[in-house]
Amino acid sequence: MVIVKRKILSLWERLYLPEVLRGLSITFRKMFEPRVTRQYPEEGLPTDGVTRGQPRLVVKDDGNIACVSCGLCEAACPAYAITIDGQETDRFIEREPERFDIDMLRCILCGFCEEACPKDAIYMSNELELADYTREALAYDMEKLKRPASAMRERMDYVKKINDRW
Amino acid sequence: MSDAQAQLLVMFIKAAAIYGGLLGCAALMTLAERKFSAWMQYRIGPNRVGPWGLLQPLADGVKFIFKEEVTPDGASPWIFRLAPLMAAVPAMLTVAVVPIGGEFQLFGVTTQLSITNLDIGALYVLAIGGLGVYGVILGGWASNSKYSLLGGLRASAQMISYELALILGILSIVAISGSLDLLQIVEGQKGTFLGFLPDWNLFKQPLAFVLFVVATFAETNRHPFDFAECEPELVGGFHTEYSSMKFALFFLGEYCAMIVMACLTVTLFLGGHAVPYWADAPWWIEAGAFSAKAGFFLFLFIWVRWTLPRFRFDQLMHLGWKVFLPLSLFNLFVTGAVISL
Ligand code: SF4
Ligand code: SF4
Repeated sequence: MVIVKRKILSLWERLYLPEVLRGLSITFRKMFEPRVTRQYPEEGLPTDGVTRGQPRLVVKDDGNIACVSCGLCEAACPAYAITIDGQETDRFIEREPERFDIDMLRCILCGFCEEACPKDAIYMSNELELADYTREALAYDMEKLKRPASAMRERMDYVKKINDRW
Repeated sequence: MSDAQAQLLVMFIKAAAIYGGLLGCAALMTLAERKFSAWMQYRIGPNRVGPWGLLQPLADGVKFIFKEEVTPDGASPWIFRLAPLMAAVPAMLTVAVVPIGGEFQLFGVTTQLSITNLDIGALYVLAIGGLGVYGVILGGWASNSKYSLLGGLRASAQMISYELALILGILSIVAISGSLDLLQIVEGQKGTFLGFLPDWNLFKQPLAFVLFVVATFAETNRHPFDFAECEPELVGGFHTEYSSMKFALFFLGEYCAMIVMACLTVTLFLGGHAVPYWADAPWWIEAGAFSAKAGFFLFLFIWVRWTLPRFRFDQLMHLGWKVFLPLSLFNLFVTGAVISL
């Protein structure tokens, strides 16, 4: 059992009004201190490498994505958000996805796809906003998922750094 | 234009201006409440609707009008509808006797910047203002809900307890100025006191002033005495079951009551529209001085609300009956003794 000892108040404190005035002076001073509100739609949210936004496919400098359509991310995805169909390609990697869909309404932003990928093809971007008028518009296909490597650089470096620790 | 016509016209203009001002102020108070609370909490407050969020009250009003009106099962239909009006109207009526500014000329009629001037103004304010509690009690009772009923009962107990302190505060002012006429009370506060202070009742009756101001907080159900609403334990108190414009009317009533109480405090204790050290100021400067003084008290209402934690109901009753009543009686007794000496 917890016994709460009441503070013995002095007469000055029991008069109440002086303490009220003290409280009022504090709130009055606070009115002129800087605001902490972020004006959200105009002022973006702060992001950095740790931010785990929506998964995106990284477009390398040669214009291709690194994905070999191995299906590991599809298998790792706990929300069954990813659908991949593979096809052959003349490029050295021999296989590439014909179709790579992520249903963003299913995705729970867990980052398992990023961890599963053996080819460093998919990364969690810093894109956090997701809104549209139809469900169909939010099932992203490959073209909608592609992002240039420059836009993903921060996250890629961050993942590389934490992976190096093991 | 005959004299009678001119007087009628002036009457209408004054009534329209003062009521327009009152309702406009009440609307602005809802915005000010949110703005000041935001600033005290390092936030910005409403700033999307119009410049500095100035159109926010309008947007709120439109929203209220389009909300669904819900009447609970078993609610007493007529009283349920009547109660919001009974809460809002008395508060608006009391403003009629408050002298806002001095005499001025309009269409050749010399008139006073107040809707009317009763020779029992102080009594009128108390009598009509006291009716406001009916809206709260009836609203709580007619809703057929335990929370509303409890909120209404608390509000009635609280208002009756603190009305005593309020009345005794007014009485001591009436005693020193020798009149129930609010204009006379203001006239009596022109000039200087002890040579340098403005001759305000505040300096002659400091104890009555403190008691009166605290009692106005309880009278208008404002923090730290907001037991009629008490969101934590009574889900909103007497207006739990109200929605849409009926709910808005309760709030309009509350804000009008605040404005009236601020005006009354200024009239009784801060010299009303009297400008210190400037006895014959033009009426518009007097009205400005009055607004500035009343504005301070309105700010005080908001300021206190966002500073202090709430009382407990038993503490409120304790304070009302065991502290305020004896102190007010003591103050009245001393005032009477000093006057008769
Ligand atoms: S982040 Fe998680 S849920 Fe989203 S696609 Fe990747 S594995 Fe699936
Ligand atoms: S795990 Fe990587 S390489 Fe395999 S299918 Fe997914 S994105 Fe492509």
